[in-house]
This record gives sequence, structure tokens and C-alpha cells, in this order.
Amino acid sequence: MVGQVVISGLLAGSIYAMVALGLGLIFGVMRVLNVAHGPLLMLGAYTTFWLFQRFGLNPYLSILVSMPLLFLLGLALQRVLVRRVVDAPELSSLLLTFGVSIALVNLAQLAFTSDLRSVEYLTGSFLVGPFAISKPRLAACAFAIAITAASFVFLRSTRLGKAIRAVSQSREVAQVCGIDVQRIHLLAFGLGSALAAAGGSLVAVMVAIQPEMGQVYTFKSFLVIVLGGAGNYPGALLGGLLLGLVEQLSSLFLTAQVNEAVAYVLLVLVLLVRPTGLLKGRV
Amino acid sequence: MTMTSFLRLGKVLAPVVVVGVGLASLPLPAAAQTPIKIGASMSVTGTYAKPGSYQKEGYDVCIDELNAKGGLLGRKVELVIYDDQSQPATAVKLYEKLITEDKVDAVMGPYSSAVSEAVANVTEKYKKVMVAPLAATTSIFKKGRKYIFMVITPAENYLDGLIDMAAKRGLKTVAIINEDTLFPKASAAGTAEAAKKRGMQVVLQEAYPKGNTDFSALLVKIKAANPDVIAAGTYFDDAVAITRQMKELNVNPKMFGLTVGGDLPEFYDLLKQNAEYVYGSTQWDETLPYPGQKEFLAAYTKKFKHEPSYHAAAGYAGCLIYGEAVKRAGTLDADKVREQLLKMEIKTAFGDYKVDADGFQVAHKMVMLQWQDGKRVVVWPDDLAGGKARYPTPEWGKR
Repeated sequence: MVGQVVISGLLAGSIYAMVALGLGLIFGVMRVLNVAHGPLLMLGAYTTFWLFQRFGLNPYLSILVSMPLLFLLGLALQRVLVRRVVDAPELSSLLLTFGVSIALVNLAQLAFTSDLRSVEYLTGSFLVGPFAISKPRLAACAFAIAITAASFVFLRSTRLGKAIRAVSQSREVAQVCGIDVQRIHLLAFGLGSALAAAGGSLVAVMVAIQPEMGQVYTFKSFLVIVLGGAGNYPGALLGGLLLGLVEQLSSLFLTAQVNEAVAYVLLVLVLLVRPTGLLKGRV
Repeated sequence: MTMTSFLRLGKVLAPVVVVGVGLASLPLPAAAQTPIKIGASMSVTGTYAKPGSYQKEGYDVCIDELNAKGGLLGRKVELVIYDDQSQPATAVKLYEKLITEDKVDAVMGPYSSAVSEAVANVTEKYKKVMVAPLAATTSIFKKGRKYIFMVITPAENYLDGLIDMAAKRGLKTVAIINEDTLFPKASAAGTAEAAKKRGMQVVLQEAYPKGNTDFSALLVKIKAANPDVIAAGTYFDDAVAITRQMKELNVNPKMFGLTVGGDLPEFYDLLKQNAEYVYGSTQWDETLPYPGQKEFLAAYTKKFKHEPSYHAAAGYAGCLIYGEAVKRAGTLDADKVREQLLKMEIKTAFGDYKVDADGFQVAHKMVMLQWQDGKRVVVWPDDLAGGKARYPTPEWGKR
């Protein structure tokens, strides 16, 4: 039983990690906690649904559409709205993105109705010994790992990636070194939104799609980046996997009703004992 | 996109307009034979707008039918309906207004347990009989109230059919899971009780929070307990998620039944062939051989251009039951009508009606459906069944 649950936890955790990396990227670079992250994920899921419904496009291929689409939306949000509150007190950006979040959910309700949708593409599981490994979750995990890995390579090895890391370490020094901080902010918000979109496309195959599906991912991502250390990008990976495991194991040994409570108790403990996160992040 | 939003706007506004017109066209009291006014508040907007409007349509068909047959006690019958916006507090004010200002002769119930519970205090205060066709919570009827009457089967009995079928096939173990809210909780408790009565063992009983989407750990536990039957107290999205994740985790009970959700066409739309073999329960189905069923279906589809839901059928039946009680009593006097409602046993297009001394429904039967080749087939009880249950449910790998 424990083995099966650990598998489920790691599969779920890899997606949390990827989605949280997007939130972490935006937070790291701008100190803006994007409450609309989950609703952006929801838009990614709808993109996949409509492409699948209208054109029969393979949901995994649709990542190639949902990511660029949401990247552009991210750019627009940053350019038109978020840019104005980057240097304002943190409450301003929270309120702004909270407003964006409500607007997105309600627009989605108007445009798509609140009927549940699903992408019935991969179902069932591979049976390996005593374990059942869900096909859609395994596929989602594989894509999440690939996209997360690509993001790390981008952050580590490319000039732009290095510039993003430089800005998240110290905006002033980065600016002095000739990095166009405004452009990096734009890029970070776009990339963050694109990662949310990828998450949306992947979960679209696993769960029912509806306008309010996203919010829970905002909270999970928040939990993950605090666990891993805000602004510490590999920390998001660790935090995501940890959250997946904790959720599943607490549902197994306790009940499904308390798994969120357990996750948040863990958050409080981490904040008390290691306020900078498990891997050291910037506070 | 904009088209859909317009349509939605239209849907929201339409009932308001209907109600508006309904009120404007109230005839002035005629000299000799004033019509009997039956009042109700209905959730034509708000969260319950869909089922609420269906219930109202059921009332409309019933009133038409009563009038076509000469009305009640020789007088025409008319409906006075206000929109309670799905709010219990609003409904309370509206029933006060109906009874004290509009001086309606009788009232019918609103939609949902929550709203019925709230307005029952008003109708009891003024000693008005209220047949409440869409209130399914047992406690409403167990508070010593005298004038409220139940039409549909209570939550506790939703899965009686599943347990009965399982027990008859010699199955011994059942796992019961439910969303942790009022109605599914009551269903799960009732199911556990029924299973124990039939000598079955409840090997696992657990609740999950509302809005839960990941059932893996819960299903792993169930898999380890290896029950013959899985019974779930669900609404809809959880019903879909659980079915899907059962396949992912290769959980293979011999029977799998759901309270709400499994009976809806959308359930099959979302799950396609994975919905096959799943049992759902429902208060009513249009294929059931109840008396007056054909006439009801014909009148309803003619008037509203769509098929009735069980909400419509229950509303229709509740109103007919009240009408019948008035006929038998020969008066609108609340206490005399109440007497009739307490001892009446009739069968309508919605099925059986008979209540105990508290007005609590004891005769109406839920039916169990099973998805077979994309169709809902009534498989329980035997005397109403339209087909045989496909049993046992094959393993996921062999479907």
C-alpha cells in the first residue's frame, strides 16, 4: 500500500513542482506573489480541451500551443498591470493579482460555462507487479520532468536565464551590470504563466476541467515555494515532490479530510524551524 | 464565445420575465367563483436556478391538468410564484407575504431541503398545509411539524437498491465513501445501516472533503480492503473523478454504485465507455411504468419543448397529491386536508406516495440505473426494471 501511495505522491508532486516553479520564478524576480497563477493554469487546461474537442489535437501536443499562448497573456498582464505594482508595497500586488484571478475565473464561467469538461484521452494504468501506475499521471509526470529540466537548463546555461537569476539575486547590481530589468520582468512573468499553462494541459487529461479548478494550484504552489525556499529554483522541485508525498501519505495513514491540514502544519513547522525554506532561499 | 454568454444571460433573465408576466396577468377576483390561489416561492435564479425552474414547470403542468379537469372543488386553480433567488431568508419573507398579504388559499413547497426547512417555520405558524416535493432531508420532518409532507425518498435510502442487489447475489463486503457534507453523509450512513441489516460487512467507511480531486490514497486503502461492493455518496464531479481513478488504480469491485451524478447524462459524456457497468440511483426515470406517466411526458414536452427531470416530475406529483387530498377532503381547510394527506396512499407519474404520522415519505422508491452501452437502464427494483443488471462488473483490463 505504502509503495503505491509513494508512486502516486511522486507523480502528483512532479506536476506541483513544475507549476510552482512558474510561481517561484515570478516571485523570485519581482517579489510579486501571483494569485492568478492557478487561473492561468485553468486557461491552459481549457486550451487543451478546446483543441482536443474541435480539432482532435493530441493533448500532449497542445502544450506547444498552450505554453506560447499563455506566455503572451503573461506578457500582456505584466505589461499592462503588474508592472505598475512591482515596486509598490507587497499588498498592492497581492490585491492586483487577486483581482485578476477573480476576473479570469468569472470570464471563464461566462465564456465556457461552469459545466465540467474532460479530455478523455489516456485512461487506465500499467500494472507493474503489485503496483498500478496511472497512464495519464505517468505521462504528465514525464512531461513535467522534461519541462522542469528544460527550465533549469535555460536558467543555468543561457544568457537570458543567467540574467533572470541575476535579477532575482539583486535587481540593483543586475541593473548596474547592464541587464534590462524591465525586460527580464516581462520574460519572467511570461515564462511563469507558460509553466502554469503546461500544468493545465497536463492535468486536463487527469481531472475534470471547470473554471474554478485553478485556485487550489495557487495555494499548492505557494506552499511548495515556501517549503523549498522562496527564490530558490531547485527548492521548488524538492518542495513539490515533498508536498505530493505528504498529501498522499497523510490520506493513507489518517484520512483524506486532513491531508491539507497536514500540508499546512508542515508549512508552519518549516517557517518556524527554517524560515528560509528547506533549501536556503531568500526571505 | 459572446454568443454563449448571451445565451447564458438569456437563461438567467428568462425566468424573471416569466415570473413578471405571471404576476402581471393575475386576474382580478371574479365576482362569484374566485379561483383557488396556490402560492410558492421558487428558486428561479441563484444557485438552484436549474432544478428550481424544473420544479416550477412541474407545478405548471399540474395546474393545467387540474384546470382541464374542472379545477378543484369546482373552482379554477392558479399559481402565484415568486423568485426566492435560492435564498432561504428571502423565501421566508415571500411565504409570509403569500400567506398574509396575498392571502393564498394554499401553499406548495420551494426547491431544496435548505429552503424548505426555513419556510416550514412560516407555514407551521399559519397552519398551512405544505406538500414539499423537493425536500429530501429526514430531519425536516422529524421536528414535530404537523403540516409539512414529503414526496421524494430521503437521502438515507438512495443506495438501498445497490445493497439489495448485492445481498441477493451473496456479496459479503462493502466499502462506503462519501463527500463530507449533509446529503452524502446521510446517504452513507443509511447505506451502512442497510448493509449491516442484510448481514454484509462494512470493511471501510471514510469521508473526503468537498472539492477533493485526488482519490488515490483513499482508493489504495479500498483496494487493500478488497470489498465486493463500493458505494459512494457523491454529487457529480467527485463521482466522475472516483470512477476515473478507480480505473487508473485498477480497483475492481463486483459492483460500484453512486448516489448522485451517476444518473446524469453528463456522467456518460465525460467518462464515455468507462461509465459502463456503473450503478447510479435516481428518484424517477421517464421509462418507469407509473400511472399517468405518458400523459405527463406528453403534456410536459409539449409545453416546455424539453424532457422533464425528476425535479419536474416530483413537483408535478406533489401538486397532484395536494389536489387529490383537497378533493377527498371536500374543503381547503388545513386540518381536514392534512388528515387526508396522512392516510392517503396513491400512485402518480412519480411513483408511490404514503407518509407516516410525521408526514415523512415511506412508500416512494428510488430506482437503480446501470449504464449499459451508453444507455441508462433501470435494473432495480425487479417490478420496475427495464433490463437485467450486467453482473459482475468485469475487471478494467477485460472490458
